[in-house]
Amino acid sequence: MLGEFEYLLITTAARLGENAYGAAIREGIEEIAQRKCSIGALYTTIERLEGKGLLTTWMGEATAERGGRAKRMVRVTGKGTRAAKEFYDAVMRVSSGASWAVGRSERLS
Amino acid sequence: MTSNLWPLVELAGRPLDRDEREAVLGDSLEAGDSACQALFGVLGFVFRRQLLLWKSWRPWLALFVFGLPGSYLLMIVSVSVTCTYERLMGLPIGHWAPTGHEGFALLLCHIFLLIAWSWTSGFILASLSPKTLWLNAALCLLMVPICDDHLRKMTLSMFAQYLFLLPAIWGVCQGVRIVRLRRTPAFLLAATITVLMIAAWTNSALWILNWLLLCPAWYLVATARRTARDGSRRVQRPVETSL
Repeated sequence: MLGEFEYLLITTAARLGENAYGAAIREGIEEIAQRKCSIGALYTTIERLEGKGLLTTWMGEATAERGGRAKRMVRVTGKGTRAAKEFYDAVMRVSSGASWAVGRSERLS
Repeated sequence: MTSNLWPLVELAGRPLDRDEREAVLGDSLEAGDSACQALFGVLGFVFRRQLLLWKSWRPWLALFVFGLPGSYLLMIVSVSVTCTYERLMGLPIGHWAPTGHEGFALLLCHIFLLIAWSWTSGFILASLSPKTLWLNAALCLLMVPICDDHLRKMTLSMFAQYLFLLPAIWGVCQGVRIVRLRRTPAFLLAATITVLMIAAWTNSALWILNWLLLCPAWYLVATARRTARDGSRRVQRPVETSL
């Protein structure tokens, strides 16, 4: 079972698709979760998820705005997608009947 | 990010792998972090990385079984060798004459043992946990001020207790590069050390705790690779790479 931050990271990387890399994922998490995301937390989690086979990473191209430094690109694997879906389903199941969730899932769908 | 602190950020990122450093520093630049934010970000990452490394048994073994006891004993052996040399050369020796009866043959034996013990200890420290090497080495050097006052009174030379450092650094360099010795040289090294230690012991020229310094040599035998292809340099370290 994924942790909350792991789920956030996988979901953000999946949403970004081909453009998923460190800085973009960090920005995405900060925007969605409305909280600061440290580089340390981001990269140690990426490594952990890669170790579990939920993500793959590789070095991408360097750009001028990065001072000529390469990006670390991220892709969610099939296993990562399944793990994220399991987490999502578990959250939905456990939330059903909770006062803050009543009627919300219908509205969202 | 063109601040004067930028070189400091680069320096803070030195413990990271090259690709990792590229990605992290590039991300900081792209996000428009200030130099201070980037510095704290990188330091935080390095700190987290170090903490994760210590979840493995390897750094603990390297530090507490081989590093700290080894550096303490090697400092004493260094002083002992210097005292014997000073006595044999007819120099006015300090307050300590370890056994007082060794001749040149036993001195040579001790010098060889000191080099071999230091080399194997350095090798183990580096090969067991290369990513915590700097921290482990720094912690081992903490033994120096602890032993310094005590040992300095025993000999005339100011640097007597540091004789082990050069062979130990040589061992560290080899340990980082080779990681595991081949079985035959490892066995020959351990057997030679053992024979010399027995010779010194039977001549009452070996402190009982010095036997602990034999552990690194036999650990190298136990973990030696059988063939040339069986993991030399750039060997996979499953525990550490997965962290």
